[in-house]
Amino acid sequence: MAIAIERPRSVLRNRLEPILGFGLLLPSMLVFLVFFYAPAAFLAYISFFHWNIFTSQSQFIGLGNFLILFAQPLFWQALFTSLYFAAVMVPAATLLSLGLALLLREGIRSRRGGVLRSMVFLPHVTPVVATSIIWIWLFDPQFGLLNSILGFFHLPQPGWLASTHWAMPAVIIYSLWHSLGLYTVLFLGALATLPRSVLEAAQVDGAKRWYLFRRVILPLVSPVTFFVVVLATINTLQSFSQIYALTGGPHGGAGGPAFATTTDSLLVYQTAFLYQHFSLASAMSLMLFILILGLALMQKWVADRFVFYR
Amino acid sequence: MAKWGITAARILVAVAFVAPVYWILVIATGVRGSAYSLPPVFLPAFHFHALWTVLTQTHWLRYLANSVLITSVTIVCVLISSALAGYALAEVRMPGKQMFFYLIIGVMMLPAQALLVPQYVVMFHLHLLNTYAGLIVPFVANTSGIFLFRQYFMKLPASYREIARIENVGTWTYIRRVAVPLARPAVATVTLLTFISSWNQFQWPLIMTNSTAIDPIELALTHYMQTYQANWRELSSAALLAILPIVIVFLFTQKHIVAAVAGGDQGSKE
Repeated sequence: MAIAIERPRSVLRNRLEPILGFGLLLPSMLVFLVFFYAPAAFLAYISFFHWNIFTSQSQFIGLGNFLILFAQPLFWQALFTSLYFAAVMVPAATLLSLGLALLLREGIRSRRGGVLRSMVFLPHVTPVVATSIIWIWLFDPQFGLLNSILGFFHLPQPGWLASTHWAMPAVIIYSLWHSLGLYTVLFLGALATLPRSVLEAAQVDGAKRWYLFRRVILPLVSPVTFFVVVLATINTLQSFSQIYALTGGPHGGAGGPAFATTTDSLLVYQTAFLYQHFSLASAMSLMLFILILGLALMQKWVADRFVFYR
Repeated sequence: MAKWGITAARILVAVAFVAPVYWILVIATGVRGSAYSLPPVFLPAFHFHALWTVLTQTHWLRYLANSVLITSVTIVCVLISSALAGYALAEVRMPGKQMFFYLIIGVMMLPAQALLVPQYVVMFHLHLLNTYAGLIVPFVANTSGIFLFRQYFMKLPASYREIARIENVGTWTYIRRVAVPLARPAVATVTLLTFISSWNQFQWPLIMTNSTAIDPIELALTHYMQTYQANWRELSSAALLAILPIVIVFLFTQKHIVAAVAGGDQGSKE
């Protein structure tokens, strides 16, 4: 009886259900489409035009923007700086965070272990500009804490952010400080799920520490290692805030000294929002887009062959 | 002996990571000129003169208010949009769900740095440049938020919804009064993640605004770097104010934040 009464209404409900679903998804989808997908599609379009956004006058120039770009030494220098940044940052971040995770692993579930992990993680959630301010001071060649420590041990004291050679390493040190916590925690998560039986079996078999690490732990954490490598690559190639804040803020000095820290992201920012060359900046962005996606896909291809998934 | 060495190494490493944050306090509250002392002073002197100057003689309270406003509105909007979309993905039978799934995940694949120029054009044409809305609206939908809610909603027993259906409770009421309260961990996680990303927002406001009236603190700090370039106490005090809310929230929710950011089991679930 009750079922007979229920039926017509639920038929109606079934008809309305998809509409309800679309309605619930609408706010999120609208934001994604307007602010992310439309710009992504738009990017390819503007790159092939000579274009003024304020008057909306546009003229198709084909590959013109790219040709202008390739003729500029600064474009190649920025690309090189980005790749240099990634080439140092990605291996350093991966190895150091794996090392930190192995160091912090024991007793991680205890209260004290948790506190140590949180201390390493804290920098990752701090605002970049605010912490860059203190790092500028730590990097100060004369009064900075870093050079005081180096001086105490009679080591050479570089000029850090004031030197064209040492500005990029300074940026890398800051970036490591800010991001290692995240990667370490990712590795700790993987190490926590290692099957205890496997580790114990290896120990019973008399495996040495190094052998245990090389033959047991490393293969088992390889999926996370891959994830960290991809994440570090993408994050590094998209770095902007810390370089902007560390190397001089808004007086046009960001990216210095002498363009030593001008990465692709900085060059895009300067070209578009300081010099108003929107088409040129779009062409550059499109290259960055392809570079980042391409590297991510390439790493996926490599991982499919070498990473051991359980 | 070896065990003792490992413990020492662990503590040393952990302290090294926190040291720069501590150093802000040392410089901000030091006595005049102590930033320039050699060898360095290692303890904060708790002179809050510089902090007082920043709070009373600049627009710093305004920037703090801006950040609080932007962050809180963003959090509320993200919670609503994520809960609704998460519910649709978890519970509603509809055609094309797979497509929405990919659209929602796909956003995470887009490299944000490469989109800024066309996003600026979109913002320009929607008249959102230099507005609070322009700093909020693009961030009110969030992939991880949607999936978190979806995950919790899928764990709800189907019988709850059947009862609601028989009792003739509307979907909106069901989400608001039954589903979301039962997904409280998702609410907490989304709130924390949005708080961190919204409070730390820098590049977006840098590009999308040029009036200091609506600057959030991170952006205001770069303007301070010009004005107070050589005054390290004032500059550090301003930075301290930007960092303090994050550090305070982190102190109380560290386990939850670590688990939220890294995802999955971090040995944090008791």
